[in-house]
Amino acid sequence: MSYQVVSNLEQVLSALKNRGENSRIIAGGTDLFLEKLPEKLLDISALAEALVIEERGGTMLIGAAVTHARAVASPLLAKKVKALTEACAQVGSPQVRNLGTLGGNVINAAPAADAAVALAALGAKAELIHYSGNTRTVEIEELYAGFNCSAIDSCQELLLRFVVNSSDSGSGSAFARLAARKSLALPLANAAAWLRVEHNCLQEVRLVVAPVKPAPTRLFKTESLLVGRPLIAESWREAAGAAMDEVEVRGSLLRCSADYRRHLIGVLVGRVLETAAGRALTAKGEA
Amino acid sequence: MPTETDIITGDRKTDRGFQTPEVWAKITGKAIYGIDLKLPGMLYGKILRSPHPHARIMGVDLEQARRMPGVRAALAGDELSCKPFGMVYKDELPLAIDRVRYIGDEVAAVAAIDEKIALKALEAINVDYELLPAVFDTEEAMAPGAPQLHDQHPGNLAWQRELTRGNPEAAFKTADLVVEGSFSVPQVHAAYLEPICCVADYDPYGGLTLHTAVQSPDIVRELVADVLDLPVSKVRIIGPVMGGGFGGRVYGNLKVYIISSLLAIRCGRPVRMQLTRQEEFIAGRPMIAAKIRAKLALNQDGTILARAVDLITDNGAYSAQAPWVSKTLSERNDSVYRIPNIRTTVRLVCTNKVPTGQYRAYGNQVGNFAMESLLDMAAKKLGLDPLELRLKNCVKKGEVTVHGLRINSCALSDCLQAAADEIGWHKRKPGRGYGISAAIHAGGSLVFDKNMRGASAYARLEYDGRVTLFSGEQDYGQGTHATFILIAARALGIEPDQIIIYSRDTLTSPFSIGALAMRQTTIGGKAIQLAAEKLREKIAQTAAEMLGEPVVMEGGRVRSATGKTLELSEIAADYRFQTSGLSITGEGKYVPSESAYDDTGYGNIAVAYSFAAHTAEVEVDRETGEVKIIRIVAAHDSGRILNLISARGQVYGGVTQGLGYSCQEGYLFDGGRVLNDSLADYRIPTALDVPDIMPIFIEQDDPEGPFGAKGLGEIVMVPVLGAVANAVADALGIRVTDLPITAERVYQAIVEWECEQ
Ligand SMILES: Cc1cc2nc3c(=O)[nH]c(=O)nc-3n(C[C@H](O)[C@H](O)[C@H](O)COP(=O)(O)OP(=O)(O)OC[C@H]3O[C@@H](n4cnc5c(N)ncnc54)[C@H](O)[C@@H]3O)c2cc1C
Repeated sequence: MSYQVVSNLEQVLSALKNRGENSRIIAGGTDLFLEKLPEKLLDISALAEALVIEERGGTMLIGAAVTHARAVASPLLAKKVKALTEACAQVGSPQVRNLGTLGGNVINAAPAADAAVALAALGAKAELIHYSGNTRTVEIEELYAGFNCSAIDSCQELLLRFVVNSSDSGSGSAFARLAARKSLALPLANAAAWLRVEHNCLQEVRLVVAPVKPAPTRLFKTESLLVGRPLIAESWREAAGAAMDEVEVRGSLLRCSADYRRHLIGVLVGRVLETAAGRALTAKGEA
Repeated sequence: MPTETDIITGDRKTDRGFQTPEVWAKITGKAIYGIDLKLPGMLYGKILRSPHPHARIMGVDLEQARRMPGVRAALAGDELSCKPFGMVYKDELPLAIDRVRYIGDEVAAVAAIDEKIALKALEAINVDYELLPAVFDTEEAMAPGAPQLHDQHPGNLAWQRELTRGNPEAAFKTADLVVEGSFSVPQVHAAYLEPICCVADYDPYGGLTLHTAVQSPDIVRELVADVLDLPVSKVRIIGPVMGGGFGGRVYGNLKVYIISSLLAIRCGRPVRMQLTRQEEFIAGRPMIAAKIRAKLALNQDGTILARAVDLITDNGAYSAQAPWVSKTLSERNDSVYRIPNIRTTVRLVCTNKVPTGQYRAYGNQVGNFAMESLLDMAAKKLGLDPLELRLKNCVKKGEVTVHGLRINSCALSDCLQAAADEIGWHKRKPGRGYGISAAIHAGGSLVFDKNMRGASAYARLEYDGRVTLFSGEQDYGQGTHATFILIAARALGIEPDQIIIYSRDTLTSPFSIGALAMRQTTIGGKAIQLAAEKLREKIAQTAAEMLGEPVVMEGGRVRSATGKTLELSEIAADYRFQTSGLSITGEGKYVPSESAYDDTGYGNIAVAYSFAAHTAEVEVDRETGEVKIIRIVAAHDSGRILNLISARGQVYGGVTQGLGYSCQEGYLFDGGRVLNDSLADYRIPTALDVPDIMPIFIEQDDPEGPFGAKGLGEIVMVPVLGAVANAVADALGIRVTDLPITAERVYQAIVEWECEQ
C-alpha cells in the first residue's frame, strides 16, 4: 500500500495520471476507511487550493477539503451560507467533523448527506479537475449516479471546490434535520432552503430534502407554489403539505416508517422556510 | 427534612474521593484488557452459527475445514460428550447436536493459527439443515399448534408463576378507582464496550486456565468444570481488566468459555476466542423483552389498595437467567409502596429468537416503567399531585412489605422530596414536562443461593508493613475495590495508599457468588471490614507479646501503655521470624442469618434495601415527537456513602443507561433476525446525549451494612424509566406505553390521540 500526501494541484494531477486505476483520492477518510482501502491513496487534506474559504466578487469559494469542523468555525460561512454551517454542525460526531470534508460528503453519495443537502439548496456548483487538465463545473445533483454511488471517479478526477453565488441581497438559508440521537446517527430526514425576498414576498426559492432520491432532492413543485407568497405562517404550512405530497419516501424497520419520514419532511420544510425567511429579512435590514 | 439527614449535593469537597491506581492505567491506555491478551503459540477460535431460526441438523461436514493449512481443530456437537448446562435449566449444549433454535445458535467451531484462516475454515464447513417452522411472537408461541422449542417446556412455557397476596379480588371490587394499562419493553443489551473475550489454556497436569474477565468467576469456574468433567481445582480463571459488565457479564458468555476450552484441550495450545460486536448482539444474552398488563386499585384519597400484573416475558431460545429476571421484574416494584393486595401471573415464553439473560437492575427497571406509569395515570384521574400520591404510599423504615421484605433503613420519602425540590416540582417552567418515579432494590440476596448468603475476605500484613486484601468480588470499573480499600483503611486506621486489593484469580481469592444483586459493598464490603478488624486484632496481639504489655494500634503504628511504639513492618518481621515465614492474616467472614423464605417467595430476601427517587425534566417537540431530556435529578438512599466519587460515577452511568433504555435502545427484529446488530444501529447514548444529571445522597446509616453503607450500583438505573415516561406524558398530556419512547413513537401516540378525539 502507498500513501501520498499532496500539497499542490500539479502533484495531484500528475499522481492521478501516473498511478493508474487503483490510486484513489482520500480526504478525511471517514467514509473510505469503512470500505476496503484501495492500494494507493492520495491524501488531499493539505491541498491548499482545496482549503479555501473566501468571497471573491459576489461568489463564495469553499474548498472541497474543508472539514465540517472548519466550516462550522468560519464566520464568513455563517454569514453567507448559514444552511451549510448548520448542516456541517450536525454531521456525525465531533471526531467525524474534525476529519470529514465537504467534498467527501458529496462524493460519498449517501442519500441524506447533510452538507450535500445544504449545498444543493444553496445552488452550489462543483468545480472538478480531470488529471488531463480539463476542468468542468456542474450542479451538485449531477454528481450522483445512484444510491451511494457517485458519478465522479475519484481515481481520475478531483473535486476542487464549491462555488456559491453570494451576491443576492435579501436572501437567507437554513438547514434542519432529525436523527435518533445527538451524534453518530444518520438523519431520519433533513431539509434545507435558500430563498430571496422582495417586498416581503418570496421571489426565489430552492428547497431540498433527503433521503428521497439518490441525490439531494429539489422540490420543484413546492418551490413554484411558494414564489410570490408572503412571509406568513400560512405559506410555510402550505409548503409543508405540498412537500409531503411531492416526495415519495421509503421506510425501513431499522430507521422509521415511510409515513413518519414523510411527516418529518413536511415539518422540517416548514421550519427551514420560516427560518430562512427570517434570515433574509434580517439580511435586508442590514444591507 | 429531618435535621439528622445529611444531604450531599453538587461538588462538595470531601475526603471520600479515592480511586485505585487502575483508574490511571485505564486513562493512560496502559490497562491490559482481555482483548489485549496474547499467549505464546496462541490459536484463534471462531464459531459457526446457525443462519436459520429453527432447523434440524442433518449433518455437519468438517473434513474440508480440517484439511485447510493453518487449521488446528474443527469441532461439531455430535462428537462431544458434554453435559447440557444452564443457570436455571440445563437447556444448552456447547455446540448444537440435532437442532438449532435461533439465528446465531452455535453449530461448529474451529481453531486456526490466525483469525483470517479461522474465518475461512468456517466457510468450508458444510451443514445440512432441514428447516422447521419457527415462532417469534410470545402470544403465538403459547397458542395450540405452535412450533415447540424444548421438550422440557410444553406449550413453550419456560416458567410460570401465579401469586396472590391478601385479597386482591375484593380490593378491586370495592376500590374507588381502578386504572389499567398495557406496556411493552424490548430486549436490551448491556453493550459493555469490550466484547467478551477468552483465552483458554490447558495442560494435562496444571489443568485449564481461562483468562477472561467475568463478574462471577467462581460460579463460571464450577460450571465449566462440570460441563467438561474436570475437577474444579483443575480449573482456574484469571481476570484481566474488564471493559464493562453492567450485569451483562455476570456469567459472561458460557459458550465462549466452554468452546474455547474444548478447542484448547483438543489442540494442546492456548485458544483465544473473542465475540464480534455482531455476535454480542445476535448471540449474547440481552435482557428479556416484556409485555405487561397491569391494574391498580386506589381509594379516592390516593391510598393504594391492590395491584394486579399479568406479565409475559420473551425467553428467546434458551433460558440463561430469564426465569429469575422475570420474577424480579414481576414483583420487586410491589415493595416500593404499601400495597396490601397483590395478584401476579407470569409466563416466560420460548421463541426462536436470541436467548436472554440480564442487565443491571435485573428487570426491576422494566417493572418500574409500567408501575410508575400506572401511578401517574391514577394521580391524574384522582386529581392528586404525583408527588403527594407517592409520599402518601411509600414504604417506611420498620415496615415489612407485602412480599415479606424487612425494611431496616429507608429514606425513600426524603428522596422523593429532595428529587422533587431540586427539579423545581412546584416551580415548573412552561412548556416542560416533569416526571417522578421511585424504586427499591435488594442489596445482596439471602435467597439467591441460600447456602451462600454472605462473603469472605482475607487481609494480610506484608513484611514492609503494607496491607494486601484478597476478595472474590470483582471490580470492573464501578469502584468496588476503591471502596473496599477505604473500608479496610478505616478499620485498620491506616492510609488507603498503604493498601492494595487482589481479586482476579480463583486460585488465590476467596469464593464469591459474584458481582450481582447489588451485594458488593453491603456484603463483600462487610467481609472486608471484618477481615481488617481481625487483622488489626492479630497485629495488636503480636505486638503486645513483643512488648510484653498492652498496646493500641493508631495512626499506622502500635503504641504501648508505657509509650513504646512499633512500626507495622517491625511487627510483620517479628512474626515472620517466629513462624519461619508466615504473615499475619485476618480472615473475615460475613454470614448473614438465614431468611425464613417460603415456597410462595414470601420472606426477607436481603440484608439491606436501597431506595431512590428520580425526577425528570423534558421538552417534547409536538410536531416531530422528539423528546429532549433537560435534566435528571437522582436522589438515593444507599445508606452512608463511603466513596463519593464512585457513587456519583454510578449515578451518572446508570442514569445514562436508563435514558438509553427509555428513549433509544431496544432490539429490532425481522422475524428471528436482529436488525440492529451493531453499535451504529443499536443506539446507546453518546456523550452528547447525556443531559444534566444531579446525584443527591440522603445519608442515613444502615444498621447492617459496613459503616452504615448499602448498595447503589443497580438501583441507579431503575427509576429513570418511570420518571422519563411520566415526564413525557406530563409534557404531552398523552402517554407512550411502549419503550423506547422514540420520536416516531411519540408522533404515533399523538396521531392516535387525535384520531380518538
Ligand atoms: C460514524 C460516522 C457518522 C457519520 N455521520 C454522518 C452524518 O451524520 N451526516 C453525513 O452527512 N455524513 C456522515 N458521515 C459520513 C462522512 O463522515 C461524511 O460524508 C464526510 O463528509 C466524508 O468526508 P471525508 O473527507 O471523510 O471522505 P473520504 O472518506 O476521504 O472520501 C469519501 C469518498 O469521496 C472521495 N473523495 C473525497 N474527497 C474527494 C475530492 N476532493 N475529490 C474527489 N473525490 C473525493 C473518496 O475517494 C471517497 O470515495 C458519517 C461517517 C461516519 C464514519
